[in-house]
Amino acid sequence: MSASTIRSNDIALGVIGTLAVIMLWEAAVRTGVIDRGIFPSPSLAIAAATERLTARQLGENLSWSLARVFSGFLLGALAGVVVGILAGWYRRFGVVVSPLVELLRPIPPLAWIPLAIIWFGLGEPSKFFIIFLGAFFPVVTAAYQGMRGIDPMLLRAGQTMGLSGVPLLLRVAIPAAAPDLATGLRIGWGLSFGVLVAAELIAADRGLGYMIINERNTGGSVGVIIVGILLIGALNLLTDAAIGVAIRHWVGRWHGS
Amino acid sequence: MSARLARAASSLAVIAVLLAAWELAVGYGLLKAYQFPPPSKIARGFAELSLTGFPTGVSLWAHTGVTIWRVLQGYVAAILLAVPLGLLIGALPVLDKLSAPLIVFCRSVATLSLLPLVIVWFGAGELTKVVLIGYGCFWTMLSNVIAGVRYVDPVLVRAARSFGLQGPELYREVVLPAALPRIFAGARMALGVGFMVIVGAEMIGTIQGLGALIMEARTFYRSEITIVGMLVIGLLGFLISSGLAGLERLLMPWASNLDQVRR
Repeated sequence: MSASTIRSNDIALGVIGTLAVIMLWEAAVRTGVIDRGIFPSPSLAIAAATERLTARQLGENLSWSLARVFSGFLLGALAGVVVGILAGWYRRFGVVVSPLVELLRPIPPLAWIPLAIIWFGLGEPSKFFIIFLGAFFPVVTAAYQGMRGIDPMLLRAGQTMGLSGVPLLLRVAIPAAAPDLATGLRIGWGLSFGVLVAAELIAADRGLGYMIINERNTGGSVGVIIVGILLIGALNLLTDAAIGVAIRHWVGRWHGS
Repeated sequence: MSARLARAASSLAVIAVLLAAWELAVGYGLLKAYQFPPPSKIARGFAELSLTGFPTGVSLWAHTGVTIWRVLQGYVAAILLAVPLGLLIGALPVLDKLSAPLIVFCRSVATLSLLPLVIVWFGAGELTKVVLIGYGCFWTMLSNVIAGVRYVDPVLVRAARSFGLQGPELYREVVLPAALPRIFAGARMALGVGFMVIVGAEMIGTIQGLGALIMEARTFYRSEITIVGMLVIGLLGFLISSGLAGLERLLMPWASNLDQVRR
């Protein structure tokens, strides 16, 4: 669904529905239907969070999480794009690479956590590696399949016009594979983000995931946990939308919207 | 067919060469055996894990069984809730518009980020893991069921109307069969999500299950056991997704353009 087809009354309905649920939640807690100690209402959660967290603490955790996910995703996606395109373009390279990728791809990124700790220790590199994998596998698969699925007619037309080798790859093949690449990048981003949170829960000493599990381990406020969860969700939603727009802009250069 | 055979043979050859190189590199001390346990050690780890188990008494099969059982409980509960709700929301456009932003948001909430909250509610036991899996599967399933019903080709619906079908009959005879491929694709994605979530959820507060196995093995410096566990997780994921893909082709031969249906 493109943005222009969403009419304003649809948006109004969406806002009404969301507000209704939030008010219902608030009312259920205020009237005691839900125990405020274990599931505080939005207003109570925000009050608890502002009391227990300083803006500086929150900002620090937030920027750690963002720095991790962006660096891991960027390098993972870059590696995925390069390996996938080369494997799809150069037959011999593909024969070597694709069995390896097929073998390792079904292993979820989170299952790499223990091995990453064995290889890189408990510091930043192990988290970087897992987020990297979260981006790498969807992107490399999509890039490879995109390259293999190019209409041969396009390539032959390009050759007829005198293109061959690297120029043919850059000016015909990659643009033709762009929609698949875009899908892979989007999936990779979602996976990187989910992996980030899990890695921070399981083995980290800062970041948003650490912030909420630490709050529970030290017997802190449930309100802080809820604010943290909602913040992580909002961050995921916003960044995914931004990447979606950027990708549509990029792919749209060749394929229309 | 012979091209596929040649491809499979070359794949096997690549993997065999790599495994041999790995074994030799550890043998000559180029790689540390603790960090990169050689294939022979992994094979011994597999034998130990399937016979005596790790921790002793809990075999690989017991771990696998526990993981599958947890995923199944959460998954089935999510499907049972999401399918009727999704069919209802999909049938009523107003309900769809009211709930759309909420559903998108709930789907964006990283399932594992709920772990601290769910532990507060239900403790660190079985229920917590099942609830987390259920959450992840539910929203994936729900949004696919709604999309399946909402984006049925309007030409189909108009054609059915001109044949005199309407109301519940139209829904049952035309909309549902047309939406089924998308719903099934959703069920497949949801199982993938559940499988992803369980590995993370099992890394905290349990010693049973494949996620716990690989984490425990690391704590005891048994990297070869960790790798065996990872391979079993990967194999399980592969079997589930290819099994469901086969089932999909078998059950819904009319969904020939499935790749267009899936986003």
